[in-house]
Amino acid sequence: MSTENENPDDAPKKALIYICGACQAENEMKPKDPIRCRECGYRIMYKKRTKRLVVFSAR
Amino acid sequence: MVEVLRDKEFLVREYLETRGLYSHHINSFNAFIDCELKKIVQQNHAVRSDADPNFYLHFKNVTVGHPQVDDGFNVTRNVTPQECRLRDLTYCAPIYVDIEYVKSGMKYLRKGFIIGRLPIMLRSNRCCLYQKSDAELAKMKECIYDSGGYFIVKGTEKVILMQEQPAKNKILVEKDSNGVPTVQVMSSTVDKKSKTNIIFKKNLIYVCHNALEENIPFVVFMKALGVCSDQLILQMVGTEFAIMNQMYPCFLECSKLNIFTQKQALRFIGDRIKKMGFSSEDYDNRVITEVHDFLSTVILAHIPVTNTNYHMKAIYTSVMVRRLIFSLSNPDLFDSKDYYGNKCLDLPGSFLSLLFDDTFKRFIFELKSVADKNIPKVKATPFDIIKYIRTDTITNALVFAIQTGNWSIKRFRMERHGVTQVLTRLSYLSAIGMMTRVNSQFEKSRKVSGPRSLQPSQFGMLCPSDTPEGEACGLIKNISLLAHVTTESEDDDAVLKLALNLGVEPVGLFSVEELHEEYMYLIIFNGNIIGSTNKCIEFVNKFRICRRKGMFSKFISIYISERHKCIYINSGDGRLCRPYIVVENGQPLLTNAHIDNLKRGYCTFQDFIDESLIEFIDVDEENNSLIAYCEEKIVPETTHMEIAPFSILGICASVIPYPHHNQSPRNTYQCAMGKQAIGTIALNYLHRIDTLQYNLWYTHIPMVHSKAVPMINFDKLPAGQNATIAVMSYSGYDIEDAIILNKASVDRGFGRGGTFRNSKCFLRHYPNQMMDSIQGPIIDNATKKPIYKHRALDNDGIAAIGQPVFDKQVTINKATPKTVTVEDVGGDRGFKETPMYYKGYDPSYVDKVMITSNSDCFLIKENFRQPRRPEIGDKFSSRHGQKGVVGLIVNQEDMPFNEVGICPDLIMNPHGFPSRMTVGKLIELLAGKAGLLEGKFQDGSAFGGATVADISDELHKHNYNYLGKDVLYCGIDGRPMEAYIYSGPVFYQRLKHMVADKIHARSRGPRVLLTRQPTEGRSKDGGLRMGEMERDCLIAYGASMLIIERLMLSSDVVEMDVCKLCGLFSYSGWCHMCQKSNSVCRIKMPYACKLLFQELQAMSIVPKISLKKYCD
Amino acid sequence: MNNPIIMNKYSIERTLGNEVKPYNYDEFVKNFKVNIINLSETDMEFDLIGVDVALANSLRRVIISEVPSMAIEKVHIYQNTSYVLDEILAHRLGLIPLKADPRQFKMKEDENSEPNEHDSLVYDMKIKCTKKDLDALAHKQYISFPGMILFLSNILIYINDEQLTFIVYSKHIKWSPLGNQKDIFTEKSVGMINDDILIAKLRPGQEIELKMYAVKGIPKDHAKFQSVCTAWYRMMPNIKLLDDIKGNDALLLQSCFPKGVIGLKSYKGVLVAHVEDCRKENSSRNVFRYKQFDNKILLSKIPDHFIFTIESIGAMEPSSIFFEAINIIIKKVNNALEIALNQTEV
Repeated sequence: MSTENENPDDAPKKALIYICGACQAENEMKPKDPIRCRECGYRIMYKKRTKRLVVFSAR
Repeated sequence: MVEVLRDKEFLVREYLETRGLYSHHINSFNAFIDCELKKIVQQNHAVRSDADPNFYLHFKNVTVGHPQVDDGFNVTRNVTPQECRLRDLTYCAPIYVDIEYVKSGMKYLRKGFIIGRLPIMLRSNRCCLYQKSDAELAKMKECIYDSGGYFIVKGTEKVILMQEQPAKNKILVEKDSNGVPTVQVMSSTVDKKSKTNIIFKKNLIYVCHNALEENIPFVVFMKALGVCSDQLILQMVGTEFAIMNQMYPCFLECSKLNIFTQKQALRFIGDRIKKMGFSSEDYDNRVITEVHDFLSTVILAHIPVTNTNYHMKAIYTSVMVRRLIFSLSNPDLFDSKDYYGNKCLDLPGSFLSLLFDDTFKRFIFELKSVADKNIPKVKATPFDIIKYIRTDTITNALVFAIQTGNWSIKRFRMERHGVTQVLTRLSYLSAIGMMTRVNSQFEKSRKVSGPRSLQPSQFGMLCPSDTPEGEACGLIKNISLLAHVTTESEDDDAVLKLALNLGVEPVGLFSVEELHEEYMYLIIFNGNIIGSTNKCIEFVNKFRICRRKGMFSKFISIYISERHKCIYINSGDGRLCRPYIVVENGQPLLTNAHIDNLKRGYCTFQDFIDESLIEFIDVDEENNSLIAYCEEKIVPETTHMEIAPFSILGICASVIPYPHHNQSPRNTYQCAMGKQAIGTIALNYLHRIDTLQYNLWYTHIPMVHSKAVPMINFDKLPAGQNATIAVMSYSGYDIEDAIILNKASVDRGFGRGGTFRNSKCFLRHYPNQMMDSIQGPIIDNATKKPIYKHRALDNDGIAAIGQPVFDKQVTINKATPKTVTVEDVGGDRGFKETPMYYKGYDPSYVDKVMITSNSDCFLIKENFRQPRRPEIGDKFSSRHGQKGVVGLIVNQEDMPFNEVGICPDLIMNPHGFPSRMTVGKLIELLAGKAGLLEGKFQDGSAFGGATVADISDELHKHNYNYLGKDVLYCGIDGRPMEAYIYSGPVFYQRLKHMVADKIHARSRGPRVLLTRQPTEGRSKDGGLRMGEMERDCLIAYGASMLIIERLMLSSDVVEMDVCKLCGLFSYSGWCHMCQKSNSVCRIKMPYACKLLFQELQAMSIVPKISLKKYCD
Repeated sequence: MNNPIIMNKYSIERTLGNEVKPYNYDEFVKNFKVNIINLSETDMEFDLIGVDVALANSLRRVIISEVPSMAIEKVHIYQNTSYVLDEILAHRLGLIPLKADPRQFKMKEDENSEPNEHDSLVYDMKIKCTKKDLDALAHKQYISFPGMILFLSNILIYINDEQLTFIVYSKHIKWSPLGNQKDIFTEKSVGMINDDILIAKLRPGQEIELKMYAVKGIPKDHAKFQSVCTAWYRMMPNIKLLDDIKGNDALLLQSCFPKGVIGLKSYKGVLVAHVEDCRKENSSRNVFRYKQFDNKILLSKIPDHFIFTIESIGAMEPSSIFFEAINIIIKKVNNALEIALNQTEV
């Protein structure tokens, strides 16, 4: 097991972008952050799709 | 000649559009909030304490706010239903009351105090969706075609189903299970429910009641009610010869009992009332008061009694007996329980008011006991009741009841389960079909035909087709398109007054004998005799005129029962009624001009009701009406005309084209299957995160649809596709209803769909300040890539959107602290992995990941989608109860083709037709084909629709064969087929049963711990059971070694040592019983058998195994 | 070979004598004829006369199932935030017809090998819908329906806000050359055949970014590789009037067939029907609807005369598709011959 797993809180983690379910504002969130949009205070966030490749067969 | 009304279906559309399809649920909830709630609080408005007579707490003016959510730190915010679904919240609104109370001798007033939260029905007048435009609804991520009428409790959608019950306060003459003629009344008032029977037994008449230990002779009962003279009793019941004959032994019996005065009768009853343990002192008086109490409030509780004046009760009882006696000689007079006028529907509003009443009483009781306990104590601060008001009592009771469906109301000894159900979102049709469902109280397992069969009085009120097959058949019903369920009326006093003004004379004014004269009719208002009249027809006509003039609610019904010599006026809730066009003097009052105005939007459907051009008639009043089916059938006596015949069907049956040409069970099958057809479940389906959701990629509007289809919005949220079918046999893979699919069609998107599945995960805070955490993926040192298990994860340890996830891959890499309790704060701060896995043979794609926080934890929801291409074994069906699985998928070149080069998408075997007699499907195909050529949708409405003759002409016009049969060339040998093939478009539904969800096989796998046998079921990767019948086959075949292998070797074989001397198990080659080792043998046996022996031994039963050489 | 196939009221009579006769090359050459009736860029109708039904059918089958073409096979999705789900998008893209001539490409030998200039074509699509695009679109609508704004100014806002979507068409797919493809092909020669195929609709902020790999394949594998919309034949119809049909009956008869099949001539003031053009008859058999025509008309089909139609999707000319199919058949026949010869030798 890597060190990252033993001590998850201090592990350098890239904060990911979450999108507010109400105003579509992009929020950067770290673990343990309260889940609340910085723009409108809405409490539902969706993970933003990154440009990670997915391959589909066109069938 | 009567003018034919054009586009009458427009009325239905307007009706459904303005009132909503599911108005009964919403109306009843609104009525509950606006009236019932206030009544309940008013009835129990005060808390007083025995400890301090000056103390009081009054509840005044109760109101319900708008749905809110508590965001922590006492911040509340208005909430939308969609937010509740996503965040697993309860969609509920605070109940405000104004309270007036005493604190240290002073009177205080507080306004808008919250006493609890009430779950709010969607689209009710407290819901935030109420009267919102489509654009506003879209902003709230709500489907504009959603029905509403359900609740959201902890994120799940719950419906309180309508429940069918015997009508209250009606006199029913019946034979009980022993064939004894009985007249029964179920009395029901706001706070009392009781059942009173009068039975005819051994030529005598008795009154029975649950509170009585033994039956009371009728005459004694009458004497107890204060009618002491035998002559008067007889006059009350009637002086007809038949009655006198039957009554004679009753009087005889009474005199034998030596009962002549009221007091004697009261004492007689007093001796027979259950549970009376009075001390001897003043025994007499207390018994008498008790009996008075019994007579006035328990027996026939719905008849009000003032000051022990039982005159009305006596008359009511005698009317009951009169009916009973008449029924003895004329069996036609027996009533039927199944007659729908004798039923009523309980709506969510009445369920909630029962529940609220109960919890509010408990709430008040709790406050009272708090006050009783605390007031006597001397404290520094004065007793402040406000501090003891807990909102949880009411909130939790309501939420718990709706969540579990357990309705237990102790006061009425009501303990009901399954009152609520989860709204099934398999398809749009299944969701809205649920809102019209009526559940019956009958025991499902009972094999009775009466309550299950279709009663003529259900015509137009309940759908004749939509009922499940099997044990619940006929017990679960669905209400029709136009049926309306009444809610509590507010006009009772006005009606009563009006009736008196119209010439009803109170019963007390008559001599009792006169009541039963030939010309006299009793007026019964909501089960109470209010008077009598000798001008029956005139009274009823006048009453109806007043109703049409709008002097009281349009839903109050009146009808004359010639059999009972009664006029019934009903204003109660839960009656089914239905709008009809009023016909007077052979002319419908509604004209084409009216409909044109409606179309232009100059008036509304409600205007027609207000003007009484259209009138609601309930099941009872239908008996007094002559209702014409259409304009041609109007005769001078006609009173009403049907609006549109297809409206007798329910929502699910309305989707079937040409249902009147089908054999009736086929329509029933389709009603069940339409709910399983996958399609678009709602416009917001991409925003929903349901446990399981199916969807079809390319849905079509059916080529042939009925007039009701646009009304229920099935054309906007359809569930199926128009397939070009050929009715022919092909390849032998189409036997037993299997269908053949064209591979090219499937490639191009026919029947394609997918599933959405969610997984949920909470991140909790623990008492020791630790919290669940999410860890990043483990990176393989060699490749610098995440290990296989973590391949779908992002750096944050949650699956990345769009990524495929395969079996056993982690989707949320959660870790839980090793210690969570407060005691060991300094303990192990480490984490153990508790990840969420994806399970499934086929991969899914991550559709979305939602994170949110509830009051105490973080909530992560993931949605996975899986594309599903049709494959062999997937289930399809047309809209005529013709289901079949895909038997073969054929390449396009092998499919037959017609003279213009069209290949069918689907081939169906013609053997499906003769025995099923689904002529509707044949016509659907023909009409669909003509529709394609004309470029328009065809109408296949029930009892109407385009006729075959017209369709044939249309086909002919476009140079297609008038019978719909084409020359098809065989795709394999290229020659034209000998037969002409019936081909054209038919709407096909893809059903949710898919091979991918059911495919299962196993070689080795998990075993049950206890028996060591393979597990059961696909979800547990179980084995395939070699059951009893399979075993029988092997025995019959004599394949004993195979039996050994299947039942033991491949299952739970174990090697055990057995001692051949004592027959007990030995262990490690040593028999502890015989203290020997040379007598021990090793045998193979099933583990279950070994377990049984050991368990028996534990119970001091010793099974012994005697061993023998195989060869002997 | 000449016994007609008779169409009765309830069934087709497949008269005997239409079986394959011992093959006679000279006779075949004498009888065999191909008449091209209609030829356009995409459609071809021709008569195939003097061949056995098996040959006509194998031609049809080969065109439908074995003539290769190019189609998008793999879709690499980098970003898709539209409402169209990834797999639906991929499926839709696969079905878009490409102009590329399959004869200029090789079949991919290994499915997982790297695409190269000989076996693959690469396309790109990168679209993001911004508020600006939509405003421009709204403005366009404003110009085309100015009255609407005059009457109800909030309608424009409504359209602008709620209804306007950016529509992604096939024209937004751009070819990106691999290796030396740039020198051989142009966007026009390998791009989209139709540039108005709807792919998706976008709302502001949504984007699609993907790369598509087209390969050569045969329709047996997937329908997207079909080079034709469809190809089929019908047998040449024949109508024989067994009796004179006059007056109103003649008019009725005319209405039982497509326009131009039955002609009317006036003899001494009485209309008499005659067969004008059998070819247009389409086996609708509506004459059987009327009793008065019983036994007066004989409908039949000529078993060795096929009216063959090829509807190309546009990548290849229909005639080329025809020749491709013939080549495939020849290859198959040669193959079969080889096997047969080898076997006799053994």
